[in-house]
Amino acid sequence: MLNAIRWAVFALAALAMNFPLIVTLVTSFKSAREISTNPGLWINAPTLENYATVLTVSDRLNIFLYLANSFAVAAMGTLLAVALALPAAYAIVRGRFGEKTLLPLIVNLRAVPLVIFAIPIYMMFQFLGLLDTRFGLGLVMTIVNIPLVLIILVNAISDVPFEIDEAAMIDGVSRTGILFKIVGPVCRPAIVTSMIFGFITAWNEFLFGLMLTTSKAVPVTVGASFFFAASGGGVQWGVAAAVMMVGALPPMLLGLFMYRKISGTMMAGAVKG
Amino acid sequence: MQTTHRLEWTLLATPLMAFLLVCLGFPAIVNLIYSVSDISFETLRSPELSGFGNFAAVLTDSGFWLANWFSLRFGLLTAILECLIGLGLAVFLAPLFKERSWPIAILMLPLMVAPALMGLMYRLVLHEFAGPVPHYLWAWFGNSPAFLGPNSAFWTLIVVETLQWTPFAFLLFHMAYQAIPEELREAASIDGATGFARFWRIELPLMLPTLAAALLIRFIDGFRVFDNVYVLTGSGAGGSTTSLSIYIYEAFFKQAAIGKAVAASVILFAASFAVLYGLNRLARRRRR
Repeated sequence: MLNAIRWAVFALAALAMNFPLIVTLVTSFKSAREISTNPGLWINAPTLENYATVLTVSDRLNIFLYLANSFAVAAMGTLLAVALALPAAYAIVRGRFGEKTLLPLIVNLRAVPLVIFAIPIYMMFQFLGLLDTRFGLGLVMTIVNIPLVLIILVNAISDVPFEIDEAAMIDGVSRTGILFKIVGPVCRPAIVTSMIFGFITAWNEFLFGLMLTTSKAVPVTVGASFFFAASGGGVQWGVAAAVMMVGALPPMLLGLFMYRKISGTMMAGAVKG
Repeated sequence: MQTTHRLEWTLLATPLMAFLLVCLGFPAIVNLIYSVSDISFETLRSPELSGFGNFAAVLTDSGFWLANWFSLRFGLLTAILECLIGLGLAVFLAPLFKERSWPIAILMLPLMVAPALMGLMYRLVLHEFAGPVPHYLWAWFGNSPAFLGPNSAFWTLIVVETLQWTPFAFLLFHMAYQAIPEELREAASIDGATGFARFWRIELPLMLPTLAAALLIRFIDGFRVFDNVYVLTGSGAGGSTTSLSIYIYEAFFKQAAIGKAVAASVILFAASFAVLYGLNRLARRRRR
């Protein structure tokens, strides 16, 4: 009996939290005519025409460009963050380098509203010609990702037994050699987790995409909002819904695929933060 | 050993430090200089020091204080709601997750969606003609409020934010709840503490550190909210939903008031630094 109530509560919570996703999915399969006569949760005549419209490139709206931009920016923001954070994490754990200053400083960065840096970064990018480039936005995503990536990697390296390092040192392997040949490979699961986390975070970022890009490097979160404004009069809800589904799908798939790891990572991030 | 290897460790950490210095240190300095300068888009490269006029302009701008007030209320309310609901779900539904974990995946799905896209989805959900919520409210009750109008926009945004981020709090509490040793629960039951008493006396105290962390994280995220509020109401709804992040963004991009935007950034920077410093000291003292 109690379990039946539990399932009911679960169903209610799942429905409420995922309601916008359900509505958007349903609407994306409705024709424009059906949306105006039947805005409910039932589809009378399912159609793929919205997805066909979205996937057709027009000069004003190019979903493939937005997706490619999001992918490139998220990939760069993830890989560069790991490349910078891994050696630093190793120095922090094994060399106790900056354990009392650098580490807390970067960890606390997670709690600082990044909008603070938005204006000087905008002006710096304008000066360097980085506005509306994937490279520029990728740099910003690296900043966004570094704190959590560093926390994950510091935790992972702390768990590697020090004896492994010592054994390699006796064999004459250098610090850098140990990092790349031994500690790095041992920490591969943590590196993968941090990359997935970073990819999802960067893909879902909006503020910097909105400020730093205008056409060539627009990510899908910003591009999707164009579909709301572009059609002149009313919004084409079916098309807009299809765009949102396409834009939301990659991180959702990654998340579903990896959800066991993600909850553990969130815990680690919360405890350290 | 520490001293001989010092150089090696420094070299390993140098790329990260250099990157942060260029990408965050330099902007921070630019912020500080511009905040005490007379600055416009024409004089970007030659800022003229002008004292604290920008700070005075911000601190006397009622819009700045309204934005602070919005961010504070928004951050506090959503953090408390998310933690209460998340804690309740994690504890009450715990037996469901013992043998299966797919329900957790369903509950955490909203976390994977970009807040900006989530906000846009709510524009559809709440739209007076195309949205199901007004549709059903009209059909069942013959009335539907203007969800994003000046009177209800604040509460609509609270609900939107809470529904998306309650799963985050839920996940943290779920992990903390699972980490409580089973023997402890059994011992409590033998001593006669069951149901609510066991939760209140045994489980909740053990989860207090998680509760504090969840409240803090959610408050910070709520306080600096931008994406979903921006796409849902912008600074619209009579300006009643301008968060501090939106205030800074609009001062810069809409009003071209660089000095004001930068001064507001510096104030926010100083404030968050002070709060974080205080919290860190508190945490260190607790640990000792």
